[in-house]
Amino acid sequence: MWRLNKVRHKAGRQGDSLEELRLKRREHEKALRQARRDRQLVSKRLLLTEDEEQSEVTMDTTSGEQDVVSLFHKLQHSGPEREAHLKALSKALRDPSAQLTFIKQENSMHLLVGLLTGSDAQCRLQAVQCLHKLSHSPHTNVAPACLPATPYLLTYLSGQSTKFTELCLYTLGNLCPDSDAVKEKLLAQGIIPALASCIENQRYNLAVVEAVGFTLSQLLQAKDAAEKIIPMVLASSLPSSLLSVLTPDPKFGLAPAIECAWCLHYLACSEYSRELLAHGALLQCSSLLLSLGGAVAEGNREEGLELLVCPLLRCVGNLLSICPVDSLSSQVGDVRLVVSLCALLQTYIHTQPALARETAWVLNNLTAHSSAVCSALLTLSLVPGLIQLLPFSQGINTMVLRVLANIAHKKKEFCVQLARLGLLSTLCATLKMADQEMVTLSLEVLFVLLVSRPQVADEFVRQGGVSLLEAIQYNSEGEMRQRAAYLLEHHLLSYPSDCTVKTFIRIVLFVKFVPIQNSGVTNLICFVAG
Amino acid sequence: MYLQDLYTSEVDDKPTLSVSEFACHISGCSAVFSALEEYEHHYNSLHRHVCCSCRRSLPSARLLDIHIQEWHDSLFTILAQRQDMYQCLVEGCGQKFRTSKHRKDHLIRIHKYPPDFRFDKTKKDKGIRETKRLQQKDTNMEVVDDVCESEGVCEVMCGVLSDQPEQGESMETHVSEEEAACMAKPAATEEHAGLSAAVHGNECSSTETLKPRYSYRVPSTVCFGHGSIRGFRGRRGRRK
Repeated sequence: MWRLNKVRHKAGRQGDSLEELRLKRREHEKALRQARRDRQLVSKRLLLTEDEEQSEVTMDTTSGEQDVVSLFHKLQHSGPEREAHLKALSKALRDPSAQLTFIKQENSMHLLVGLLTGSDAQCRLQAVQCLHKLSHSPHTNVAPACLPATPYLLTYLSGQSTKFTELCLYTLGNLCPDSDAVKEKLLAQGIIPALASCIENQRYNLAVVEAVGFTLSQLLQAKDAAEKIIPMVLASSLPSSLLSVLTPDPKFGLAPAIECAWCLHYLACSEYSRELLAHGALLQCSSLLLSLGGAVAEGNREEGLELLVCPLLRCVGNLLSICPVDSLSSQVGDVRLVVSLCALLQTYIHTQPALARETAWVLNNLTAHSSAVCSALLTLSLVPGLIQLLPFSQGINTMVLRVLANIAHKKKEFCVQLARLGLLSTLCATLKMADQEMVTLSLEVLFVLLVSRPQVADEFVRQGGVSLLEAIQYNSEGEMRQRAAYLLEHHLLSYPSDCTVKTFIRIVLFVKFVPIQNSGVTNLICFVAG
Repeated sequence: MYLQDLYTSEVDDKPTLSVSEFACHISGCSAVFSALEEYEHHYNSLHRHVCCSCRRSLPSARLLDIHIQEWHDSLFTILAQRQDMYQCLVEGCGQKFRTSKHRKDHLIRIHKYPPDFRFDKTKKDKGIRETKRLQQKDTNMEVVDDVCESEGVCEVMCGVLSDQPEQGESMETHVSEEEAACMAKPAATEEHAGLSAAVHGNECSSTETLKPRYSYRVPSTVCFGHGSIRGFRGRRGRRK
């Protein structure tokens, strides 16, 4: 059980195996995230106790089923060995077919609920272990069978026993994505206020906080979450509790912050994200991102750091897209965020290209409406680094080029600086690319640069840009041909404009990541020629 | 993906605090533990939220507050006659009801709670409750303390719990046993029979669930319940 691992770690017990396990867990978690992101897969977690781990042997399924039946009969008798039977049962219930056998036994759930609410604390613990194993079942009919236990699981969330509460939380978290009926019941039974008070009461207990984060994220990922769950969550004290978790405890690790950041992300990409903004979520997330980026820049390669960076980036990116322009500076706080973002971009470009692209997306959203941020990028000499990223593919270059376009669009002086930093020669390279989006974007950036100052045109011609534009004239894409022709006619060959060609260039960025509902129109550059 | 979960294991063993077995220090509770963790869990589950008047253990501070108000607060009783005082048991609901019956209806209807929710016990006169328990066994489960006090059917539970020389051990199981009894077909008469038989290991096999009915008869003045004080207490002040 990796949670215990953490607790022990907290107690100061460190070892190689611990690091190894943590790494393993992170990898596993990463895989889960990936699966969740890609296929909206329902993810469940299983907490294992020590003795269960030691006997990691795959048991024979038939004997497992028989075990369950005989254990169930034994459990109906009282006696001191009941706890041992329960323990054995919880072990046997790890087998999916045994889970089915158990729920088919008459009164089995009733018995388990009886033990869960009984006066023996150890039996309660073992009973919740059994329920936890059942909740982890891949069979969809197991979760509804567990319903009689949910009022008690929810009631125990306000209890004091940490490990017990944690198990209750993971069990509830596993149960809720399985069927809508279960989810409805849990909502009616007050899971959201229960989670809110649980995270509030146990905020110093990071293992519990993490478990709350997991359960809540399971709820928030529901397809119809926007209708009912998200408004309920936003009305509760959960958003501020989640935000307060965003200060990772160096001893405990990042896990609670990761879970809570995912919850915040699900909230931020809903249509109610403005309420999150009112809680100061953007400030909180971006300041954590700022410090994480700083840590990464200093060479901190802590395993799993990217797991926290990812939801934070999405959160910030989405919140930026809905943040009113006039309150942008107060919400974002420090413009040095761009330094962190650039550091993250450089770090993850080779190892995690997807994350690098999202970083560039955030940078784009950040630069879209703020000339302060744009000038910060220039004065902190981060632009050369960005220009170097233009040859990279996988959507990173287009995003970076959009950032540069945002900068160029703000002020004429910025254009001059960009040209001086060598953007023109890079554009010459990008104009040759096969990626149409990239070429179109390059043409647009080129247009903004050319308009800014006549010297830029000279420079571009000197670098042999005209032939590139002429080559584009033979491109199959009509729009591209038009734009290239326009640039040639109006800015490079110093023709007097006869306005025969009216070009309408418009960039609308609408960035969408798969689970994100609302990424917002992030940037809009419109200009009409003629 | 699910299978992967199975392998998130940890290898390093638990730092066991190797203390030889120790007992719960709460008077009347004789649970024995081998690890500090076990004790912590036990204490938090059973002794953290205990009503000082009736020794009933509740799972959370909120439920304890509600319990104390409804069972031991005379002001509450007076006020309850005029206004809605019975708080909903669901965290964050905040609704109040005139009677506990209304609340129960609300819990079942709105919050989809089971009708036999264990932590919702209605305060009734003993006689009424006993007859009720005799009639329908599947209603409210009672916490040990009440059960131990009452005669008749409830004493079956008491008998059950004393099936061992060491009461502490047996105490751990008796409530679940009680529930098992409630789960099975109502069989009050058989239970009485089991009680009177007073034979260790007498099995009451007439119901579909095979339950041993141990019943060393224990004087009703001796009470074994979690949080209850062992010894002769009589019945005063125990249940109002």
